[in-house]
Amino acid sequence: MGGAPGGDSSKDQKDQKKDKPKYEPPPPTTRVGRKKKRMGGGPDAANKLPTVFPNARCKLKLLRMDRIKDHLMLEDAFVTNEERCRASKGEKGGLEQRQEEERGRVDDMRGSPMGVGTLEEMIDDDHAIVSSTTGPEYYVSIMSFVDKDLLEPGCSVLLHHKTVSIVGVLTDDSDPLISVMKLEKAPTESYADIGGLEQQIQEVRESVELPLLHPELYEEMGIKPPKGVILYGSPGTGKTLLAKAVANQTSATFLRIVGSELIQKYLGDGPRLCRQIFQVAAEHAPSIVFIDEIDAIGTKRYDSTSGGEREVQRTMLELLNQLDGFDDRGDVKVIMATNKIETLDPALIRPGRIDRKILFENPDQVTKRKIFALHTSKMSLSDDVDLDEFINQKDDLSGADIKAICTEAGLLALRERRMRVQMQDFRSARERVLKTKTEGEPEGLYL
Amino acid sequence: MAKDDKSTTVDKGKGKSVDTPAKDKASNAKGTNGDKKDKKDEVPEELSEEDQQLKSDLEMLVQRLEEGKKELYKPSLDQIREFIRTSTSSMTAVPKPLKFLRPHYDTLTALFEKWEEGEDKVAFADILSVLGMTYSDENRLDSLKYRLLAPTKDPGAWGHEYVRHLALEIGTDFAKKQSNDEDTKHLHDLALSLVPFFLKHNAEADAADLLFEIDSIADIVPFLDENTYARVCLYMVSMVPLLSIPDDITTLRTAHTIYRKYDQLAQAMTLAIRLNDVELVQEDFDATSDPALKKQLAFLIARGGIRIETDDENIAECLNNSRLSEHFLALGKELNILDPKTPEDIYKSHLENARGPVSVDSAKQNLANSFVNSFINAGFTNDKLMLTEDDSNSWVYKNKDAGMLSATASIGMIHQWNVDVGLGVIFRFMESQDNNIKAGAALAVGIVNSGVRSETDPALALLSDEQYLHSKVPQIKKMSIMGLGLAYAGSQGEGLRELLVPILADSSLELDISAMAALALGMIFVGSGDGDVAGVILQAITERDEAQLKTKWSQFLSLGLALLYVGRQEDADATLEVLKAIPQPIGKATSVLVDACAYAGTGNVMKYQSLLVLCNKHHDLEEENKGEDLYQAYAVLGMAVITMGEDIGAEMALRAFGHLMHYGDPIIRKMVPLAMGFLNASNPQMKVYDTLSRYSHDNDIDVAVNAVFAMGLVGAGSNNARLAQLLRQLASYYHRDPNALFMVRIAQGLLHMGKGTLNINPFHSERSVMSRVSVASLLTVLVSLTEARSLVLDQHHYLLYFLAPAMHPRFLITLDEDMKPLPASVRVGQAVDVVGQAGRPKTITGWQTHNTPVLLSYGERAELEDEEYIALSHTLEGLVVLKVIQPFPFSFRLSPY
Repeated sequence: MGGAPGGDSSKDQKDQKKDKPKYEPPPPTTRVGRKKKRMGGGPDAANKLPTVFPNARCKLKLLRMDRIKDHLMLEDAFVTNEERCRASKGEKGGLEQRQEEERGRVDDMRGSPMGVGTLEEMIDDDHAIVSSTTGPEYYVSIMSFVDKDLLEPGCSVLLHHKTVSIVGVLTDDSDPLISVMKLEKAPTESYADIGGLEQQIQEVRESVELPLLHPELYEEMGIKPPKGVILYGSPGTGKTLLAKAVANQTSATFLRIVGSELIQKYLGDGPRLCRQIFQVAAEHAPSIVFIDEIDAIGTKRYDSTSGGEREVQRTMLELLNQLDGFDDRGDVKVIMATNKIETLDPALIRPGRIDRKILFENPDQVTKRKIFALHTSKMSLSDDVDLDEFINQKDDLSGADIKAICTEAGLLALRERRMRVQMQDFRSARERVLKTKTEGEPEGLYL
Repeated sequence: MAKDDKSTTVDKGKGKSVDTPAKDKASNAKGTNGDKKDKKDEVPEELSEEDQQLKSDLEMLVQRLEEGKKELYKPSLDQIREFIRTSTSSMTAVPKPLKFLRPHYDTLTALFEKWEEGEDKVAFADILSVLGMTYSDENRLDSLKYRLLAPTKDPGAWGHEYVRHLALEIGTDFAKKQSNDEDTKHLHDLALSLVPFFLKHNAEADAADLLFEIDSIADIVPFLDENTYARVCLYMVSMVPLLSIPDDITTLRTAHTIYRKYDQLAQAMTLAIRLNDVELVQEDFDATSDPALKKQLAFLIARGGIRIETDDENIAECLNNSRLSEHFLALGKELNILDPKTPEDIYKSHLENARGPVSVDSAKQNLANSFVNSFINAGFTNDKLMLTEDDSNSWVYKNKDAGMLSATASIGMIHQWNVDVGLGVIFRFMESQDNNIKAGAALAVGIVNSGVRSETDPALALLSDEQYLHSKVPQIKKMSIMGLGLAYAGSQGEGLRELLVPILADSSLELDISAMAALALGMIFVGSGDGDVAGVILQAITERDEAQLKTKWSQFLSLGLALLYVGRQEDADATLEVLKAIPQPIGKATSVLVDACAYAGTGNVMKYQSLLVLCNKHHDLEEENKGEDLYQAYAVLGMAVITMGEDIGAEMALRAFGHLMHYGDPIIRKMVPLAMGFLNASNPQMKVYDTLSRYSHDNDIDVAVNAVFAMGLVGAGSNNARLAQLLRQLASYYHRDPNALFMVRIAQGLLHMGKGTLNINPFHSERSVMSRVSVASLLTVLVSLTEARSLVLDQHHYLLYFLAPAMHPRFLITLDEDMKPLPASVRVGQAVDVVGQAGRPKTITGWQTHNTPVLLSYGERAELEDEEYIALSHTLEGLVVLKVIQPFPFSFRLSPY
């Protein structure tokens, strides 16, 4: 009230009364969920490095980056100097020792054992509502040493055993299922193990690898790089093989899932898993998500009374949103594979979600030769084997069929205890394969 | 170096196919499985038939070249060239012919040496140059070597990637040759032959880069045309803050030449103002005879604070800013904010958490009210406090002592820019018997005249009067000097020099009067590098005895000197030398300040570094060496002064300030908030004011008070609701501390300055041009806050009025050719940096359509929406003259929307 000008204080008081009902909302708490934090804003954003434009390769960009580097080096020099000053002054000596002490103090404060609870709601900067596994919810304070950036509703927190205040955050809250999907060991198949498919390889590289390696090429051209590709074509034409080769080649995080994995027992689990996959992918960006057999969840939507069906559809809707929804995915590329593209929901494969549709066809003659050469390169063949015979035949063979022929021929040779595979083996192998192939199709059976 | 990453992409292509086997081998070596390796080794042999064919063809051709039959040379070479040219491939792989020729490269180079001179050899060199691109390692520069042996008119024939590679090699070679002092003429010629290719292929940035690389950016002018000059200039200009001293000036001048060549006078003028080259400004100004354009240029010059003479009355009006007040009031009318506001409207103290009866220093509060009242009603020519019908009951008399001075002076700010009306009101107080009121009136005269100019020079006439400038009463004298400094900031008037120099030189006067004279001279001759004034100030410093130099007022002697060199860069070196001989500590402090000011707005990293290093020192201050660490305060301010105007440096400086806050001594910590405020004046960014709000609760009350002021500075004239909320909380937090509360009130006043229509950011014309006067005025206020408790928070609060010259309306008003307001619809949105982007990117984002007049916030940009007008200025800011486009059957101006 100090501001009331002396002269008209009585009038002002009246004014104040009148003004009283005018309500201005309290300032929102300074922190929000984690995602919001990432986007910038808040005092911590001050510590972020400035973004550098333009994206094109040019001297301007270089100079700007250099400028940042210079400043960082100055900062570094300053801080080391100051630390040295402090170290020489302080009798405790040494930065590490001090840190150790502080850490020890924090551990004392945390106490032991600690309870584990779930953060239900943030009240203000230093209070929150937590629930423990035993049931009751508590209104507790948050210790100042807890990294508040990591707190978000629903995350697991450590609670002090007596005061139940929050003393720590358990960070890894994503489903353990996800970590399984992350590919730790690269598959052994590389591009060299693919016979033919040059066109397809090139398309995949252009739309998946290149944007991650050289985003500036797209920027210079003024286009947005494709977000994902779908590989489709009849069975055994090498879709999964190509994905494996991509995984082998790339240094990006490679997540692989099968469509059916997204179908879960409980309601809402599927969509949640889907969300988490993409969240993990974004956290480990740049990354590639490979979804095999997408038709398991991506079929066209239709009215369904079955709860299970509806759940599957909901999972797909979540996928739609993850692919091209409100949030920008950034450096996450998606590869899908299916052999029934016509059953997929049109929304799933519209441009913007899946920008490139790559068809895998049964091999032509040249490719057949390559595939044969690949598979027989490690077999011991007898001199009379002439693969051209099979190559020139007009059989509708897929890559998998060719592999099957070679394996079958090898098995036949083994049966006769020969160390070399002969032409005869190949011939009968081919017949067997073709026979089982046609048998598999029940065409004409019920006609 | 820029080309380095370029080369990586060139290499990348090669890396993909050539390096793959190597990479795979490496992964095999890790021991996955051995048999894979065998397979891998077969890969090169698995060529498709056509590849095999190509390979053998090429091998045959190479062989033919080796055989030594001269008649076969030409057709073979032609054939190879044909192969290379026609090969297409994906961007991830090397063209096949190049791949197959790789094993033969060494043979071919050896062969080349053996050939005799002639046409064939030239053709051979041509091909080798292309091959050299993919084969040779970085240091060989084969492409360039063979290119120089094979002169060609059409370097683009081999494609874009090749030309880029060549540009890279030219850059490397040039640097090498230059350091060895070798002849670079041929490189220069070759580079120039590449420029048209770049320009033709949308690679303006590359063209400019190449010329930057060979230090001859000025040569770009003849290559440009109507379509390319704009992009090239934009690129060059955005490069400027990152270049070192001679280059930045050359670049700006080149860009200026280009704009002049293509008749973009407004843009050229902006650059001329940025260069602070009065002759160039005059030249641009005289280049047109179109009265409307001339007026537009006059507006730009007026905003840039440069004085130019003209005979034409109408144009003089624009140059003098005479109608600024009129336009400002028109804006107020349009926005319906003409009604005066009281400080209470701003405080909204009913929203503060009342904490029971509080005893406050009512004098201090009344003083705060005077300031707040003047800030919020600045320029609107009426208010509810000061301008009452009955003078005897005026607010002035509710203040005491120096409070009356500031209260009277606030009339000046309320009438800012409106000389006629303002002087009329002030006259009543000029005759007062009270010395404080009289002094305040003198200051008010100065404030009213700041930012506008009049032929009759009323401020000079009034203030140089016997009873003001030469008054016996110290405060009247001081205020008259300050008034002159404000009124004529940046004018460099000779008459003022004669008036003020004697006062400065007279060491029998009190130090504060001399210091004020130095400051006024600094304001008037800001950025002029005037040696005479500098000499006098230095003289004044040496003549004063040491005890005097340790008082707070000596700061303003240093500041006055520093202001002379704002933006002069190397011109300040001589003065810096002299300062070394000046007794400490003032000598050191002054030299830090001068150095920082000289590089204001340049982003110079070397200077920044030297200042940062100064902050590394720690002093154990006893009573006798008090004030020795003052230079550190200036160093912190200097860091902000240097980095402002260059976004990256500014952002990085904010980080550095965090460290300073953590490690620094009290004097450094005290200045950090101010420096942050200065860096973001009128630019309320959340990350900045959140940090400041943290500092405003600091244990050190000096830090807290300065942080509060900085919050005001950051939000100045923005009406930012969040900041208002924060300040209101601070008001109740500090309700017991009169000094802090005073500062909170001031900050609130600043936040609502001109009811949210003003800004104090020193940069204008799309943040490209630094106004030296604004820098000077802000810096003065900040320096006076280094000793806040003995200056601003004590009896010398009038120093806050030094903000006046920095205040500018943040409006956009469109005028027709007769200077009548012409409402036009404009899109206003966040400005986007479009430098170096492909295509025709949008320059603003998230826009809204308004009718002029409109307000522009920091970082916002406006675009004309009406197709029927064309703006004569390239930046829609301030006063803009519109011209009606002659009706055409179709629109010539392609709108990107």
